[in-house]
Amino acid sequence: MRNLLSFALIGLALVLPAQAQQMAPGFPGDAAVDLGQEKKTLKPRVVPNSGRLEWMPAERDLTSWTTLSHLDQRDARRPQRVTLEEPLAGNPMRGRDIAMAKSRGNCVACHELPGDPWPGTVGNSLLNYQRRGMSDARVYQQIYDARIFNPQTVMPPYGTNNLLNEQELRDLVAYLQNLE
Amino acid sequence: MLNRTMLLTLLACPVWLLFAGQAALANEPYRELDRPRAYTPDVKGDARFSDTYRYWKDRSRLDPAMAGNPDEYWKLNWKFMDPPFNQAIHGGHFAMDHGETRFMSLNRTHSFARCLGAGKQGLKGLRAGYPRYVARLGRVAGLEEMIEHCAAKEGVVMQNGSYDNSAVALYIASHSNGMPIRIQVSKGPMRQAFERGRLLYHTRSGRQNFACASCHVHNTGKHLRGNNITTPFGDASHYPVYRTRYELQSLHLRMIECQLDTGAQPLLPGSRAYTDLEVFLTALSNGYPVAVPTERD
Ligand code: HEC
Ligand code: HEC
Repeated sequence: MRNLLSFALIGLALVLPAQAQQMAPGFPGDAAVDLGQEKKTLKPRVVPNSGRLEWMPAERDLTSWTTLSHLDQRDARRPQRVTLEEPLAGNPMRGRDIAMAKSRGNCVACHELPGDPWPGTVGNSLLNYQRRGMSDARVYQQIYDARIFNPQTVMPPYGTNNLLNEQELRDLVAYLQNLE
Repeated sequence: MLNRTMLLTLLACPVWLLFAGQAALANEPYRELDRPRAYTPDVKGDARFSDTYRYWKDRSRLDPAMAGNPDEYWKLNWKFMDPPFNQAIHGGHFAMDHGETRFMSLNRTHSFARCLGAGKQGLKGLRAGYPRYVARLGRVAGLEEMIEHCAAKEGVVMQNGSYDNSAVALYIASHSNGMPIRIQVSKGPMRQAFERGRLLYHTRSGRQNFACASCHVHNTGKHLRGNNITTPFGDASHYPVYRTRYELQSLHLRMIECQLDTGAQPLLPGSRAYTDLEVFLTALSNGYPVAVPTERD
């Protein structure tokens, strides 16, 4: 029944893009969403021997960032320069957890960090990061929005895109600056 | 920052369009592109891209020894099968049988096959020529979109991405097995779709601000955790694929998976953007043989 409902709603979003626009101006009508669901974003489920594709709520609501739709009229978020208010007041232990957790920082997907058996190689190794002698402010900016240093970086803008909050970013800086 | 219109205009349009393009600029939403590059619309183009084509161009001569080496495995581009590479019966075979049954019942009067564009050759070669421009619809359409459209004309619901739709696509593709993909992207609407697809492939989206190219072009061969990123050449000719975790997965559903994995809001299968991406990826499989059914984890 819930899935039937999803269909009805997707159908609506398709024929009535205005419906989607109630949510945010410029939101595309061909996105897989169900505005009646709390998380809005849907993921597909293929049901054997059926001519219908089922949809279920995705793990998180992804509707506030831009899509690849030609109908998406919203601006992507521009690079943001930030200043770090001292003192840092970050907790390295919490920072470590954030860096390792797939659903949070997931820094290990790209970077080598101590204690991870499958380091990513997309970014450079962050082992012994303390030895680089970077300022806290520099590291904070790198994580907040690395595009300030390299407009073509693949590193996600954790601050600008609200992936992590300010305290979490401070915890990460503390963690990296303590890697001996 | 360049945006979509600027690049599209610069790269694809005659001079007189430049002005029209610039007029539209003010209204174009802000987007970031991840270093767009040119592509040869043929699987051989990979020789100048990842230079792995020599390892996988001839399937009968694939080197299983490379498969055992985590640093070499990605170079095999063995995307039609996962280790341990056995040819046993899998869910894809059952799906193909199911597709045959569904096809037969849809095609009693032959109007279904005609609608899909089958000529004297029947279903032979049909898969190798999709996506294509469909004059009746006034747009470029993929095989799965046409199956949905033509089934609807027979009064049957076969949504793009559904099991039945992919099963019929598989059955149709099986008549092209071994035939090289052959789509024309040198002129008209197909060229425009290829161009849009190429730029979309380099357009960042989602919470992590990735483009498809951020991984598949600029980090080919690198490790993303346990995954090794492969070349975008030769991606399209083995779809829909049987996935042990996802049942039948069409190419558009695979795009949805990558988008969800990277925190980007997915679009509906059959959306214009995914169709443009499909044209782009299929052109990068030109010259590579259709191979179904395939199985992956
Ligand atoms: C998708 C890949 C990716 C992810 C995920 C990622 N990074 Fe990065 N990171 C990079 C790349 C690539 C660079 C190289 C510089 C650049 O391009 O910005 C980099 C550079 C850095 C640097 C500067 C290194 C130096 O040499 O001074 C730091 C610090 C850093 N990342 C920390 C993090 C932290 C902390 C996280 C998680 C919260 C993270 N990164 C997640 C790709 C990534
Ligand atoms: C953060 C990295 C990342 C991004 C961004 C990404 N992908 Fe992927 N993609 C992967 C990985 C890892 C795989 C699995 C390994 C493989 O098959 O190459 C994969 C697999 C695929 C496959 C299956 C290949 C096959 O033949 O089975 C397709 C098709 C694909 N991606 C298309 C896309 C498209 C289109 C986009 C953008 C909308 C995209 N990807 C964005 C990492 C990514």
